[in-house]
This record gives sequence, C-alpha cells and structure tokens, in this order.
Amino acid sequence: MWHCHITAEGRMTTQTAIFRIDGVTKSYGGVKALDSVTLEAGVNEYLSLLGPSGSGKTTLLRVIAGFEVPDSGRVFFQGRDITNLPAHERGIGFVFQNFALFPHLTVRQNIAFGMANGAVLVSSEETAHRTQTIIDMVGLTGMEDRGVDQISGGQRQRVALARTLVMQPKLVLLDEPLGALDANLRGRMRNELRAIRERMGVTFLHVTGSETEALAMGDSVVVLDRGRIIQRGAPDDVYSTPASPDVAHFLNRFNMFEGTLSGGTFTGAFGSVVAAKVTRAPRDVYAIRYDRLRVSPLSASATGPGLKATYIANEYLGSSVMNFFETADGKVVEVEHHLSLGAPETFEPRQDYLLTWAPEQAIVFGREGK
Amino acid sequence: MSDATVAAKRQGPSWLILPGIVWMALFMVVPIAMICYVSFWTQTTFNISSTPTLASWKQFFSSDTYTGALWTTVRIWLIVLATTFIIGYPTALFVGLFVKSKTLSTVLLVVCVIPFWTSFLIRVLAWRPMLGKEGAINIILLKLHIISQPIEVLLFTELSVIIGMTQIYCVFMVGPIAFMLGRIDRNIIEAARDLGAGFGRIFWKIIFPLSLPGVVVGAIFVSVMGLGEFATSGALSGRKVNLLGNIIVTQVGSLKWAMASVTGVILTVFMGMVIAAFLRIVDLKQEL
Amino acid sequence: MESRVLKPMLAVYVVAFILFLYGPFFVLGILSFQQGPDGGPQFPITEWSTYWYRQIFGLTPPSRIAPLPVGEALVRSLILAFMTMVTSTVLGVMSAQAFRRKFRGSGFVFYLIVLGMMVPGVLTGLGTSLLANNVFEITRHWYTTAFATHVAYTFPFAFLVMLAILNRFDSSVEEAAWSLGVSPWKTFRKVTFPLIFPGVLSAMLFAFTLSFDEFPRSLFAAGGTEDQTLPLAIYGTFSVEIHPNIFAFGVLTTLFSFALLSVYGILMGLSVRRARKLAMQEEIA
Repeated sequence: MWHCHITAEGRMTTQTAIFRIDGVTKSYGGVKALDSVTLEAGVNEYLSLLGPSGSGKTTLLRVIAGFEVPDSGRVFFQGRDITNLPAHERGIGFVFQNFALFPHLTVRQNIAFGMANGAVLVSSEETAHRTQTIIDMVGLTGMEDRGVDQISGGQRQRVALARTLVMQPKLVLLDEPLGALDANLRGRMRNELRAIRERMGVTFLHVTGSETEALAMGDSVVVLDRGRIIQRGAPDDVYSTPASPDVAHFLNRFNMFEGTLSGGTFTGAFGSVVAAKVTRAPRDVYAIRYDRLRVSPLSASATGPGLKATYIANEYLGSSVMNFFETADGKVVEVEHHLSLGAPETFEPRQDYLLTWAPEQAIVFGREGK
Repeated sequence: MSDATVAAKRQGPSWLILPGIVWMALFMVVPIAMICYVSFWTQTTFNISSTPTLASWKQFFSSDTYTGALWTTVRIWLIVLATTFIIGYPTALFVGLFVKSKTLSTVLLVVCVIPFWTSFLIRVLAWRPMLGKEGAINIILLKLHIISQPIEVLLFTELSVIIGMTQIYCVFMVGPIAFMLGRIDRNIIEAARDLGAGFGRIFWKIIFPLSLPGVVVGAIFVSVMGLGEFATSGALSGRKVNLLGNIIVTQVGSLKWAMASVTGVILTVFMGMVIAAFLRIVDLKQEL
Repeated sequence: MESRVLKPMLAVYVVAFILFLYGPFFVLGILSFQQGPDGGPQFPITEWSTYWYRQIFGLTPPSRIAPLPVGEALVRSLILAFMTMVTSTVLGVMSAQAFRRKFRGSGFVFYLIVLGMMVPGVLTGLGTSLLANNVFEITRHWYTTAFATHVAYTFPFAFLVMLAILNRFDSSVEEAAWSLGVSPWKTFRKVTFPLIFPGVLSAMLFAFTLSFDEFPRSLFAAGGTEDQTLPLAIYGTFSVEIHPNIFAFGVLTTLFSFALLSVYGILMGLSVRRARKLAMQEEIA
C-alpha cells in the first residue's frame, strides 16, 4: 500500500507518482475553495476523494484538469510542471457528473471525437479500430450509431468513460461520475468502473460525496474538508481509525457523543469511561461505530459502559438492519445489526433498552490526545 | 488578479470583445461626438468651417420653426407612446395571459410580426389610400351611411401621422408586454381569486405590476423609433408636421450641416434623458 | 379569471387589432391590381389588371410613368444586407463569447453595444456623413460608410440574441472536448458552434432583415444616386407622385420576405433535432 506524507519523502515518491499538486490554493471572491492542498497519486492507482459539498473537491479536480488556474502552488503531471499548461495540452481525462456528451454527435462520433479532432494525429483506421475496441469493452456494441439522447443513463455513462479512456490518458479525473445514476445502476457501475480501470492500468482520481462509494472503490481514500486534506489512507484504515471527529462525521458510521476528557477518562451522557487511547483533536468527542453497539434489556447487568435509550424504529438496508434509539437528552443513536451475524432481534417501540459496547472499540478524540 | 487573467485567456479570451468595442466606438460614438462638434461650426450659405460659434444654437432657439419642431416631436412622441400602450396592452393581455395554448399565442405573435416583412416605407405609404379623401375608410363609412361627407382631416394632418406611427410601432409594445405576462405564475392569480379578489383588483395588484418591465421595454422601443422619425411624418402629413428628424433631413438637403447638427444634438440629449429614465425603472441586462 | 365576459371581449379586440395591422396591406394589395398606366393610387379600381406587376419586370411598353428604379437598388440592398449580416453575426458571436467571462467594464461595454440599437438612425447617419465629408474627406458609398452604420445598428441585435443563447449554454461540453486534447478553437468549431447554430441563424435573420429595410442610415451615409439602396429608391418616389407600381412592388417584397422566412424555417427545422438533443442533455444535468 502506498502512503501519503509526500514532503518528507517527496524525492523518492516522485518516480512512482503520476501527478502531484503542491500547496495549491484557489479562492473565489475571498472564500478559499482550496487551502494549500498537497497531494499525489501513483501510477495505476485508484484514489477516492471524499468530501461534503463545498469542500473544494470539484475545484481540486478542475485545477488538475486545467479548467482553473490556482492562485498559488504548482501542479505536476508525469514529472512535468503543468500549472500554466492549457487543458487540451495536458493529456488528462475528465469524466463529468452530467457526462457532458456532445449532443449533436452519435455514440461512435462522441468516442472518436478526441482522436478525430485532437492535436495528435491518429489515422482513420486506428481511430476506427480503437473506437470499436473500447465500444466492445464498455459494452456498447450495437449502439454505435445511436444519438446520445437515444440511450439510457448508464449507457451515457459508458460513452463518457469510453470517450475519455480511448485517448489512453495516464490519469482520469472523475467528478461524481455516478451521481446522475439511480441507486441500482450506481452499484453495478461501481464494479464496472473498478474492472475497467484495472484492465486499462490508468490512475483514477474519483471525487465523491458518498462515503460508501469512497470506501468501496478507492485503493486509497483522501478526505477533504473546507479546502484542506484532513486524512488520507487505505479505506479500512480510514474507516476504523478516522483521524478527526470531522472525518468520523463524514464517514456517517459513528455515533458521536460530546463530553469532556480529563486525565484519560471521558465523561459523557453514558457516565465516565477510561479511554485506552486518545486521538488528538480540537474538541472532545467519543465515537462508537454503529455496528459496535449491543442492545440489552434494561435489567441486564452491564460490565462496561452503558447508555439508556428508547427504541424508536428500524430500517432494513439489505445486508443489515439499522435500529434507531433516542437518549434522554434527545440524541438519536443508531445501532447496526449485520444480517450475516444472524437474524435481527425485535424491539418494542417506546421501550427503554440499555446500549452497551466494549470500551476498547470506541474512538476517543480530545485535546489530551497525541 | 494576475492569475485570473491567465484563466481568462484560456477560457473566454477577452480580446474577442475588442472588434465589437472598436466598431461601436468608431461608427457610433465618434459620429455622435462629431455631431456635437459640428454644431459649433460656422455656417455660410454653401459652406461650413470649423471656426467655433454659437450662431446655429442661437438660431435654433430663436426660430419658431425649430423650437416648434421640438415641441411637435415631444407631443407626437407622448401621444404615440400613449396610443401604442392603450392599443397594445389589451392585445398583449390576451396573447400573454388569456390564451392557454402555447401554439395559439405563438401564432398570434407571428401574425403581429408578419407586417414587418414589408418595407417600412411601403407600410407607411399604404396608409395613403386608406386615409385619403377617396380612401378606403371614407368609402366604407359612406357606404355604411355613417357619414355623408368624406372626412378630410384623416390624411395629411397630425392625425394621420399619429395613426401611421401607432400602427407601425404598436407591435413593439405588444411583444415585450406579452412576454412578461406569459412569465406570470398562474398559481398566484388562482390563489388571489381563491381569496375572493375580483379581476380588477387582481389586475391592478398583480398582473399590471408584473408586466411593468415589459411596458418599459416596449416604451423604450417606441421612443427610440418614434423620436428619430421623419419618414412617416414626411409621407403622411404632406410636410405639414415637422419633427426634429424632418428638420435634420431638410437642413442636410440644403447643406446646412451646422443647423442639422444642432438639431441632432438636441435630439440626442432628449433621447438620452428618455432612455436613461426608462432604464432607471428596468435593468435591461437583468431582463435578458 | 372572468373568462366568460372578459376573454371573448378581448378576443374580439384582438381581431380588431389584427385588422388595424393588416388593413393598409389589404388595401395596398387591392390597389396594386389597378388599371395601368392611367389608374391612380386610389379607389375606385377602374379596371383590374396586372399592369403594374408587368411594369416592374419591364414587360410593358414605355409610358409616361417611369418604371421604379429598383433593379440595381435591389441588388445593392441584397449585397449590403448580406455583408451586414455576416459582419454583425461574427461580431455578435465574438462579443457574446467574450461576455461568458466576467471582465472589468463589462457593464459599460454592454451598454455601449446595446446603444447601437437605441440611437436613431438619423443621428448615426448624420454623424457618419459629417465625419466622411469633413474629417476623412472620403466619398460616401453604400458599401463603405453605409455598411459601417448598418453593422453598428444590427450588431447589437445579433449580440443580444447570442448572449441569450450562450447564457444557457452548458460549458462542460467544451471542457470535455479540451480534456480530450482538442484545442479551444477546434472545440468552438466542432462543439460550440453546432450547438449554438439555431441562435446564430436567428441573429443572421435579424441582421439581414434590419439591414435590408434600413433607411435613415443609408439616406445620410450612402452617397448619390449610383449608391441607392432599395429603401432609398422607394423614398425617391415619395417626393414625386406615387403610382400603383409601388404598391405592386410592396406586394412582391412581402412575398420575397415570406420566401426568406420559409428558408429560415426550413433551416431551423433541420437544426431542431440538434436542439432537442441538447435539451435532453440538459435534462440529465
């Protein structure tokens, strides 16, 4: 697995890095969309960029693509400074959320567009050959002569992808490429996207606002917030050890409790618990993953920490059930039960239960942390 | 800002605007500046020299012909503004608000625009056989025994100029107003009706205020064209009605460039005041 | 709405309005079939004939009434309108393209251009002829000075049409083309232009029509009789006596306009498919 922290080992990683951005800052009317962002990705890597809307993730892609020029900082691609190179001379692919297909052209013409009109001369035989190869690869065979308004959303997505990949870029930027698809199609396209990327051996930089998408698809996940990178790592690392309360919040997998950390003990709505390990953060937060909570009857004797809560409702998510509880101070606590672990328990609405967990599974953030 | 200019170069080159600016400066701003300049030149019978003088200005304001033309222009402009509005508004109301089918309202608008496919001058001329002593209107009225003697004031009077200009320009009122009316959310009107408001109240409280930008845009069109008029007044008044435009034409015809320029400056200033006043009410750039 | 009373009343009003608009044309059409060459430009029709139409095409024997001097004027007007159309559409597209990005002084430039359609033709015409006579000391011609003023008049219309079109244009298709290695100029030719073509067509139509019928600017900015455009030729007959030949000519020009409109309609129809595709594309976005 490839790691970040470039500045220290910058020289070493440059050889394997396909692109690097160095201290890039971009403001719009005084608001910093990107605040001194430094990031790089290796050859043949799938990088997910996760961030809420307004975190600057689209701006970051547009800077790399050359649609925007950074206020300061440099952009490198294949070892070359491309900060002031126009977009069409960069050789970086871009897949838009709305696909941005050429509405006046057919599927085939869309895909051949870059080869037919680009600066690099491609013979018409090769254009035809490469177009047909990629059409077969993304599964658009038989659709070649349709207008792009005569195909479905998923097919449009494939055209957008094929149009970009046929140019054989070393880096493809994907701006929420699955955002315009319905949930069903989204799942299928995720797998396809991964498979196509592996087959082509290109680096993908995939921007998404969905934590599940980011965790499922990237070899590596970068979390962006308010124009800054706040964590980078392998998906399971990010998932199990979020670097800050904000990351834990974006992952949408943690119950977060406010409280005070003092002398290694966290005091919150559930009483006082000794924190084995504390992650340094500007505020004190106690986070427990949804699937780390257990539900017991009130009468049960708890060995560890416990929180009294009223059962409200549940929701089936396919592979798991999410149970919603409400604590005395009105906070909603979510408890996830994976169906692979057996049939779900049923709870009585408006009935009080005791929520328990193993203290070592909680993630504690605080000013005392290291 | 330096990086922003790099981006501008790349995405929407700003030099693209230069030819447009140069053209407008050279062929609109400079000519008008020239008119102002020449209005202070010295005019002799057949010649003009650049010696500065106020003679032409003094002459303009001391002559009843010229000041009279100014007042006639203002009067006819105001009357035509009123008649085009009065005649055009109900039509716009029907086309923009009452007609529910998009096709029908488009067809009606196209029907209104078709006359513009005939030369402006021929459209003006077409009023002569209409309004004359032996014109169509008099023939019809005589046949219907509404009148016993042909009406003579119809042609070659101020009235005929007003009728002609109203017909030619009223479509410019109808279009913008109908456009604004078409944009009104019908639910607002329905809601007001549900609250028990009568049509009169709905009209004055909702419909009319919302159509006002259209009225202003229409008024700008009518003013711009009406104030610079000389052909309609020339053709339909038998040279009895002299507008500022007619003064300019006749002065140029007799090579009195300085006087033509003075008249031009006065027309420009008046025009500028009118347009500025209208643009104060409506931001044209926003209505786009 | 009080549809039962108000709507029928307004409908009747609109019919009256249309009669008001068309009445003169109707009369003009009738009188164009007046007997010739002795019939006057008024009622009653002494005898129905196509004399005045034949006269326009030079198919009648010479008479005391000279045929309309329109032949060469028509050619000049067509060429002038074509030149004006091309120039002002190119300028309009360029300027509107520049307006897609905010630049300093854009508000001022906007009004500078729009002013071109607001300044009365008498003024630009007078100013241009003053400049030509006294500053540059050049001879005025329909293809020089008059052409310049025509463009200054029609360019704002083309500009506004293109601005409205480009305001709604989704620039991500252009960015997509760049990211495929296609240069901005080629992107404009292969992507932007085909997509804004319906707007370009409207801009061209506007410019051609306005220039073809333009009169006050030509009156001052064009030179002598060898420089007469069609409206100038018609205006020339004003001052003398009018004959039904001018009515016949009016009918013919109207028909010509309809032919032009039909061509425009057909071209529009051809690009409708394109426009519909664009609409579909936007729906996804």
